[in-house]
Amino acid sequence: SSNEHKLNFKKSKEACLSYIQDALLQKQWKRAAEFLTCYVESLEKDYSREHIGPSEMIWRIGTEILWHHSQSSMKEFNCFMEQMKTLGVKRYLKVCLEHVFHLLCNGQIDEAYQNLSLAESWRFGEQTAIQDKEMKLIQAYRGLLDYCSWSKQKNILLEHGEDGFADLAVEQEMHGFFRKAAVNLKEIIKIPGVWDVFVKCYVDLLEFYGDHNEACQVLNEYAYNSKFPANPNAHVYLYQFLKRQGESKKSLISALKILHDIVPSHELMIDFNTMLQKSKKRKKRRLGLEVIFAALDYAGWKENAKAWSCLARQVKQIVISEKHLDWIKQEWNSRKDWWPAFHFSRYLAKRNWQENKSLSYEKGLVAGILLGKDCKYFKYVSHQGCKAQLKRFRMLKKFVTRHNSAYLKISG
Amino acid sequence: GRSGAALTLLLRSPQVQPAFVPRRGATGERWEAADAAAVPVLLPSAGSWIPSPAPQDILYRSGLCRKLRAGKPGATLDFARQLGHFFVDHPEDAFGSLGRLLHKNFYLGNAKLKRPARNNTIRMTALVEDIDRLEARRGCPRQQLASRLRWFSHLCRDWLFEVPLGLLADCLHEELTQQWSSLLFDDSLTGGALAWLPPKDGGTPVGCLVHPGGQAMNHLYFQDVVLKELPHTRGSPAQFELSGRIRQVAAARVDGQDFVGVRSDYHCGVWRVPAKRGAAPAPLQVIHTDVPASCLTVSPHLPGELSVCTQSGTVYLWSVETGLQQLRHDPQTMFFRDHSPWRWSDFTSHPRVLSFADRTGLQCLDARAPKKCHFDLFKVGEESGCQQGERVVLPMYLGRAHPSQYLVTTQFSVYVLDERLPLVPVLKWAHMMKAPPLFAHLMPGKPGRSHKLLLGASRTQELLLLQYRDSFWGVSSGGSQSACQLAGTPQRLHDIAGCLQHLPTQLPHRHHLLQQRLSAPAAGLAATLQEDEPHKSMLIFQLSEAGDVFCQRLTHKAAEPPAPPSRDEATTAPMPSPAAALWYRRWLRALSRACKEPPRHTWPPSLSQRRLFTRRDLEGPAGPSSLQRQMRQRLRQAMREGGRIQGWEPLALQPSPLPQTLELAGGPDPLSTRLTAAWAGDWEQWWEERTSFSVAQRQRALRERRRRQKRAQGRRSLSASFTSSLTYQSELSELSDVGPSLLSPGRPPILSQEGSPPAGSPPVRSPPPSPAPDEALLSSQSLRYRGIPKERRKTLRDYLSVWAEGPPEPPEPPGSQASQLCFPSSQRHLSPAPPPRRKRPRMGF
Repeated sequence: SSNEHKLNFKKSKEACLSYIQDALLQKQWKRAAEFLTCYVESLEKDYSREHIGPSEMIWRIGTEILWHHSQSSMKEFNCFMEQMKTLGVKRYLKVCLEHVFHLLCNGQIDEAYQNLSLAESWRFGEQTAIQDKEMKLIQAYRGLLDYCSWSKQKNILLEHGEDGFADLAVEQEMHGFFRKAAVNLKEIIKIPGVWDVFVKCYVDLLEFYGDHNEACQVLNEYAYNSKFPANPNAHVYLYQFLKRQGESKKSLISALKILHDIVPSHELMIDFNTMLQKSKKRKKRRLGLEVIFAALDYAGWKENAKAWSCLARQVKQIVISEKHLDWIKQEWNSRKDWWPAFHFSRYLAKRNWQENKSLSYEKGLVAGILLGKDCKYFKYVSHQGCKAQLKRFRMLKKFVTRHNSAYLKISG
Repeated sequence: GRSGAALTLLLRSPQVQPAFVPRRGATGERWEAADAAAVPVLLPSAGSWIPSPAPQDILYRSGLCRKLRAGKPGATLDFARQLGHFFVDHPEDAFGSLGRLLHKNFYLGNAKLKRPARNNTIRMTALVEDIDRLEARRGCPRQQLASRLRWFSHLCRDWLFEVPLGLLADCLHEELTQQWSSLLFDDSLTGGALAWLPPKDGGTPVGCLVHPGGQAMNHLYFQDVVLKELPHTRGSPAQFELSGRIRQVAAARVDGQDFVGVRSDYHCGVWRVPAKRGAAPAPLQVIHTDVPASCLTVSPHLPGELSVCTQSGTVYLWSVETGLQQLRHDPQTMFFRDHSPWRWSDFTSHPRVLSFADRTGLQCLDARAPKKCHFDLFKVGEESGCQQGERVVLPMYLGRAHPSQYLVTTQFSVYVLDERLPLVPVLKWAHMMKAPPLFAHLMPGKPGRSHKLLLGASRTQELLLLQYRDSFWGVSSGGSQSACQLAGTPQRLHDIAGCLQHLPTQLPHRHHLLQQRLSAPAAGLAATLQEDEPHKSMLIFQLSEAGDVFCQRLTHKAAEPPAPPSRDEATTAPMPSPAAALWYRRWLRALSRACKEPPRHTWPPSLSQRRLFTRRDLEGPAGPSSLQRQMRQRLRQAMREGGRIQGWEPLALQPSPLPQTLELAGGPDPLSTRLTAAWAGDWEQWWEERTSFSVAQRQRALRERRRRQKRAQGRRSLSASFTSSLTYQSELSELSDVGPSLLSPGRPPILSQEGSPPAGSPPVRSPPPSPAPDEALLSSQSLRYRGIPKERRKTLRDYLSVWAEGPPEPPEPPGSQASQLCFPSSQRHLSPAPPPRRKRPRMGF
């Protein structure tokens, strides 16, 4: 019966697909390609209502094969892509975008640009929401390419400008690129999402033309709009922009404070701590201690000598001044049940000593203050240091012994 | 296949020359399989493997049914057949008391019943015939129930069954649906039950493989493995016996020590393997859960810390020092409603922050304030571009590759997430695996090189190798965390079943058994990277549900131009190396030895005469002695002369010892008495006496034993629930000593001990008759455990008791034989874990 035939057809389709998959996973591209030509027949009776239909399968698998096949050429690839574009109307823009990516990765910037322009002018019936989004992406990538051209012209001008030679036509062209790029880039970054590259390019354009207000606004929007994902990069861009603009310490600190709240383990926390330690305000210095303690909570910071030296410096300062020992105490309270095992075990003392003497010095200092002179880490490190007759370590031993009272206050 | 957004472009540096780099780099490291197929690492252990039920075991198969339901999706469970199996397999539990009561009123013979008997006896034969007829007409749409059957069932439906039929049916149905769902997707294996403890620093590369074993998969082994061309085991493994099937083995190395967490349904335990080489693993602590645990992960940050999830939605931080801390309890799923009770948890880059997952997504909880401090890390939904019906299958912390990255696998895709930029995957790839990846293993690459990620599925044994780079941008603080790149194409690796074609040809039925064993679902995955030697290589271990561990080696090929097409398109499988072929043969030999089936024709039990007479007894003198020669001569002479011999005393020799004196000296040795009697000519009378004596003695012994058993069983039933696993185990090991397996259902109980001494061992020197059978062997409970049907138990017991001489020893207190019990008894009594049930493929769910 026809029903059975349909079932069998479906079965053989599935079998064919699994053969292709098998070949792909074993990097047998030629075999996969042969099976794919058989699979094309499945387009004949495409009754499937699966998430990924056969035409999409063919597009994806075909791209994959052509990407890896030793005998495929760019021409063949382009030809295949053109065919795929006509295979499914709904997917047209997606295929275009993928094609453009492929061209870009192969360095064919101009062809990519042409393809983008073509895709932009494509119209089919009423646009769906998805198509709208894809169209925005296409425009954005065209904007990105315009930006690249702009950047190229700018470099030419800057080089020639030094020679005192200014080409008006080149400048005109550059401004043209700017306008085209700015329009498209501006559009894409309005949609909630992660648009790091586009934002960076757009801000670069704006800064070059001195539109700092607009740049600042864009970056603030990107960082603080709650509809966007909590993207730490957005805050980093804002911070870097503020720094470039020579903004006040206060605004820099507030930008980094938010970064600290989102990602306490961010690399910039060292800069943040240094900045805060230098501050005259007690509150800021207190925040600095919090920041560096929080950063060292993370496994990625375990062996960061710079971070440990920041903490050691601040702890040393506090102990010498004998003021604000309660700050340390408060920070230590929530950590004393797990930091000793996490940072100050005997195993780590041995390893740190072998691998990085200055790290073990800084850590030894912190351990000596926080856990007293009898703690395993400090004992091992100071013993080894004294044995190796390193002056620094002898001083460290003296310092910790002298300030054992601080330990008692912190732990008490 | 590639995911839609596979080629998202990244602009390397906008200031300088633009360079576009694909999200899916074309160049990954080249790893090639060193051998044609996976090679076994461990020899199969004794005792046959009991395969889990297959779909055809519990699904309804009938032509009518197929016709009726043609085109309709879903499956029909064969409920009636299973209920029937239950009645046949467990008659005692189904009809025990009434069966005993009515025993005399049911007549099973063919003859007609006579008058007086007919008053209180019914003839069952007709009923049985009716049932048979019904069976024969099965599938006939116009089948009519025989009125007699209807009458009978109407009459006794309400009282015949030990357990009310409705209740029993409910339980059975529940169990059946559960079995079916676990057949479709068994998530209890998530995480995998195989762990590799890498070699300690320095010296020869000896790592440790931690794996479950034994027939019930309730033995934990720590096996040292030497890494060579083909890894091989060294020494005998450290072994621990647990009170439940091992579902997951997780391990992490903290401060040079390995911590191994082991999860079974109701117990989780943690072991420590000290840093010192050769130090024995030591059990640290055990916890007991009321609901099955679904996850156990070991902290990579702090020694002796683990996270545990139970099916009800509770997550605990478990510290060996401070105990359990409940972080969250919520039976509901997080982001939308999903019926699955599966929960998972893992550690994150902050030692006090744990992730918590269900099928709908992942959250991170701060253990210091779990209610207040949490954030969503992954959601099944639009942000991640998920498909409809996509669900989280396995989350894993990728801390060894990058401190803030996380892996999430679903049945369709693989995602890499960054804690710092939650909800937006930094990498997505559609893996196209046929079964959801339940196992994953990460091998971090050195800086600048790709990380290797292995994904494994259970049912299909699929293994995939992916490579990715965490940040190829190379800017430290330029705000580039989102960069993550898949390197090269994913690669399929050998599965266990693939080695079947390389094994020597077997007899068809053996081939079938072998195929069944080799294609058992995978149960775990582990791997190790050896980078220090000149030829970099990767070893991948795969565990199957049958307890087999297979291994394959991949070798690193320096970046060469792509292989020539002839090599590339090779379709014929290469032959395994000689070393591998040797291993296959060894493994096969061990396998056939381990699950040797005693030939069927040995039933009924034949008695070996070796049992009755030792070899020395049977050994005749090498030749006639001089005395005999002399006697013969005298005999012959007397015959010739027609005279008679007055006395046997030889003239010149010492008088030979007479049998009588021998008997006095030897005591009541049955053989000697018998021979003496035969000598004396009154052998027949001796036999008479002997049999009557033995009958009386047997009766006495039987009565005595039954009394003793009753007492023992009364005691036992109280403690059985928490010691049963233990006695069960000790019986299992006893069994394996006996040799032929008594466990397989449907096989007649054979207790021929002929097979037990391996060839070449010295002959058995036990005096006839054979030693008294072990008390444990005879107890009805133990017989039931062995799958011996009730009606045969008595036969077997009686048969065995013939061999019993004198009153049997009182039963050993259970547990004294257990080798090393790790789950302390103090834990066990909290609420008894159900005894591990051996699930037979077709019967007794």
